[in-house]
Amino acid sequence: MTLDAIVFYILAAVCLLAAVGVVVSRNPVHAAVFVVITFFNVAAIFVMLGAEFLAAVQVIVYAGAMLVLVLFTIMLVDPDNLPELHAGRPVQRVVGVLLGLILLLEVGLAIINRTFTAPTGNATPELIGLVGGPAQAMGYILYNQYALPFEIVSLVLLVGVIGAIVLALPERLGEQFGLRRGTISLGHPRGTEVALPTGPDGEAPITEADRKETAALEGTRELILVRDPDKYTTVGERR
Amino acid sequence: MGTLTTNHFLFLSAALFIIGMMGVLTRRNILIIFMCVELMTNAVNVTLVAFARETNTLYGEGFAVFIIAIAAAEAAVGLAIILALSRRVASVDADEFNALRD
Repeated sequence: MTLDAIVFYILAAVCLLAAVGVVVSRNPVHAAVFVVITFFNVAAIFVMLGAEFLAAVQVIVYAGAMLVLVLFTIMLVDPDNLPELHAGRPVQRVVGVLLGLILLLEVGLAIINRTFTAPTGNATPELIGLVGGPAQAMGYILYNQYALPFEIVSLVLLVGVIGAIVLALPERLGEQFGLRRGTISLGHPRGTEVALPTGPDGEAPITEADRKETAALEGTRELILVRDPDKYTTVGERR
Repeated sequence: MGTLTTNHFLFLSAALFIIGMMGVLTRRNILIIFMCVELMTNAVNVTLVAFARETNTLYGEGFAVFIIAIAAAEAAVGLAIILALSRRVASVDADEFNALRD
């Protein structure tokens, strides 16, 4: 067994154990730490495969930026809602593991039975060394053949950042800028046939008849208030 | 055993992908499901780089770079969605998100 193989087996073992740790850990923070271990091992495997540039990107983007983002999200989510002691229903677990094993069998057979593809390119390690290293070679590929996809990916990243900001914006923030949220209730006691009386600003004012009606319905069914803005989905903005 | 071939890396990547898939299928915490999806994209990257080395080309590595960039955008949007959902439903349990059904 060569030194290469020994290093590979150690890396692969740690990588897979950490991946199993991600799946079985109950606390998401522990899962995030296991994910970091897996990402670092994958980066080391990229180095073994001669992709040093990709290993650096892996460490910077995955282990650096993305995990900070994940940890921030874990901390921002209400801690009372975090622990998940019930990891899926038993049926879900059995089906998941079974499907995984079947897929592993299929892929394993495919890998064993495949024929080796003959080297078609000329990017041998010697030539890459002549160009100036893997980073230079990658830059040549990215800015020549993949120039247009490169620009499109930058656009996708920009749109993703804007979308993330819009999605993560607190909903109350809109109200500060004068945006009012219109809420609808499908379960209003009066049903949908009755036309709501509209006030001066287009909203339905709560009248004395409404109060009587809701008081009469109290106890017979769950009382749902139309005006409660936190209970219902936002359907649109109104001026 | 013995010398290292592309198949070694392919088997590692298959195992990594399937562990991630099992996590997505069995877990209910959406944060952990998200991390398992990241594991799966990583496994695909290993496959691409392994084939790139076998065929002596750099295209696989180029694809892996694009995948990492898209995964970064996906992480930003996905985590923002998780944040917005957890604000509205006050939970990160995937089974709780059934607003269309009720």
